Amino acid sequence: MSDMITIALSKGRLADQALDLLEASGYDCSAAREKSRRLILEDEKAGLRFIMAKPADVPTYVEYGAADIGVVGKDTLLEEGRQLYEVIDLEFGACQMCVCGPVSLKGKLDQIPNKRVASKYPNITRSYFEGTKRESVEIIKLNGSVELAPLIGLAEVIVDIVESGRTLRENGLDVLEVIADISARVIVNRVSMKMKAQSILPMLDALRAQLAKQKEQKCREEAAST
Amino acid sequence: MGDYRFHTPDGVSDLLPDDCLTKRGLEHRLRGVFASNGYQEIETPGIEFYDVYAGGSFVAQENLYKLSDQEGRILSLRYDGTVPVARLAATLFKDVEPPIRLSYLENMYRFRESGGGRQREFSQAGVELLGISSPQADAEVIALAIASALEIGLTDLQISIGQAEFFRGLMEEWGIAAEDAAEISRHIDQKDTVALEKAADRFGLSIEAKETLLMIPALFGAYETLDAFEKRVKSPRAIAALQNVREILEILDDYGYMKYMTVDLGMLRSLDYYTGMIFKGFTYEIGFPVISGGRYDKVISAFGRDMAAVGFSLSVHLCMSALRRQGKEFLHTHVDTVIGYSREPGMRKMALSMAESLRNEGLIVLVDCEGMDEETLNHFTEKKSIEQMVFLNSSSCDCEEEETCQI
Repeated sequence: MSDMITIALSKGRLADQALDLLEASGYDCSAAREKSRRLILEDEKAGLRFIMAKPADVPTYVEYGAADIGVVGKDTLLEEGRQLYEVIDLEFGACQMCVCGPVSLKGKLDQIPNKRVASKYPNITRSYFEGTKRESVEIIKLNGSVELAPLIGLAEVIVDIVESGRTLRENGLDVLEVIADISARVIVNRVSMKMKAQSILPMLDALRAQLAKQKEQKCREEAAST
Repeated sequence: MGDYRFHTPDGVSDLLPDDCLTKRGLEHRLRGVFASNGYQEIETPGIEFYDVYAGGSFVAQENLYKLSDQEGRILSLRYDGTVPVARLAATLFKDVEPPIRLSYLENMYRFRESGGGRQREFSQAGVELLGISSPQADAEVIALAIASALEIGLTDLQISIGQAEFFRGLMEEWGIAAEDAAEISRHIDQKDTVALEKAADRFGLSIEAKETLLMIPALFGAYETLDAFEKRVKSPRAIAALQNVREILEILDDYGYMKYMTVDLGMLRSLDYYTGMIFKGFTYEIGFPVISGGRYDKVISAFGRDMAAVGFSLSVHLCMSALRRQGKEFLHTHVDTVIGYSREPGMRKMALSMAESLRNEGLIVLVDCEGMDEETLNHFTEKKSIEQMVFLNSSSCDCEEEETCQI
C-alpha cells in the first residue's frame, strides 16, 4: 500500500507560500519547485507528490481522495462546500468576503427588496442572503471585474473578496457588510486522515509548530522595532 | 434541446459483463454473511410515499428523487434501507416479538450526489437489528460489518467508532443551547479547530472546557482516547457514552476485531439521526467511507413504535472501486466450451444433449446457432478466446465425444 502523500496546491502565490512553509517545517519540496509544465510532481524519496491545480478544484481533489491534503483559500472552501477536514489556518492570503456597493447604500441595504447581487461566488452569496439574512435575492454570476456591475446598473451590490479596498474606493464603492474572514487553510481528506494518519498527523504537527514559531518571531521583531 | 437517446442520466451507470459478474459475486458473499448470522433478507419497494422520508425529517428534501402518482400524491425513490425498515417495524411487523434481524441489498437513489465515487443510483448492502439496546447488539452489528468487508476482500480496513451521546452530554454540562451546539458539532465534524476555538470563546467556555472541546477533533486512538476524556468530563450522560464505547470495544476484542478499531468522538455528522454509537469504515484507495452505521433509536419512534435500532450499510459500488484500485481479484466472464454440429441428421440432438451434460458438470457451454462449419467455428473459438471447441459430424462424433468427456 503506497503511503505516499499527495498534496494539491492552488497554482500561484498560495502554492509558493505553502511550499515555503512546508520546507521550513522540514519537508523536502524540491520536486514541486521544478519549473516545468508537468502537473504532477513527485519525489519518491520524500514520499510526497504534488498536484498543481486551479484553486477551485483543490477541494474537489481532496474530497474525492485524489489528493490527501490540500492548501486552498477559505473563499474557495465556502464556495465549494465540500465534505473535508479543515485543519489549519495558515493565516496567509488574509482578506475578507464582503457585500460591497455604492457608498450611498451604507446602512440602507435591507431596504431594497429582491436586489440583484453580482458575484464570482454564487453559493456564498446565496447562503449569506438566504441563510443568514433570510432574504431572497437575484444572483448574477460573473467571472471577473465584478466591481463593474453596480457601476453600470447590472446589479445593486456585489459579493467579493476585499483585500485593501483600493479598487472599490477608486470606483466609488465601499464595504457594506462583512460575510467572513478569509485566509489559506490546510484541508485533509476524511479517509486519508485515518488511513494515512502515521504520515499525515506528524506533518500537520510540524506545520502548526512552524506557524507558531514564525508568529513568535514576528511578535519579537515587532516588539524590538517599537 | 439535445437528443438524449445515446446517453444515461448523471450519476447512473451501465454495468458490463465483467463488472456485473464481479458485483454479483460480492453480493452473493455478502448475502451469505448476513444469512449465516441470522439476518433475514427483505425487499422494500423502490418507490415510497414522500412522507415516509420527509415525515421524520430524516432526509433533506433536495436529496430525494420525487415523482407523483395519479392522485397527485408525492412519491420518492428509495433513499436508504433503514427508513423503510422502520416503517415495516411499525406496521407489518408490529406484532412480531423483538429482536428482529433484517438485511437488505438494494439500489438506493440520491439526488445531488454524483461524480468520483458518488453515484445517484448505487447498491447498498445492510442490516438492521431492531428491539435491543445493548453494547452486545452494537458490537454484533459492527462485527458483522467487519466480517462483511473481510468476506469481500477488503482486508485493509479501519473502523472508527464515536458516540452521539458524548457530545450531547458535554453540551448539556456546559449549558450550550441547541442552535449553538449544532454550530459546534459542525466545526468538530470538519476538524476545523480555528472556528472551534472562536466558537468556544464566543460561548464563554472555561479554559478547561475549551481544552476538552479541542481534544475531540484531535484525538483518535483506542482505549487511551476514552481514558483521556473520562478524566475531564463530569456529565453522567457523556461518561455513560464513553463507558458504552469501552464495552463495545471489549466485546469486539472477543470477536478478534480490536485491531480494526479506532475511537473518534469527533464523528458528528447526521447527529439528529443517531442516538448512540456511530461508526464508519475506511479502506485505501477510496476517498469516502465504505461502511456507515450506528444506533438510531428514534427512527422507528417517528413511525409510532418505540423500538431500539442499530444497523449499518455498506456501499457495494464504493467497495468495488476500492477493490479494483487495490488490485484485488476481479472476475472475468468466459465461455468454457462451444459446440458446433454438421447438418447431418441426429447431430443437433447430440450437440444439445452434450451441452446439457457439460453444463451439469459446471461448465459454461455455448451451442452454435449460426450453422457454422468446422473451420468457421474454429475461427470463432479463437476470436472469442473460448477454451475448447467441439464440432460434431457423423465421421468424427465418436472420438470427439470421448475427448470432451475427459475434460
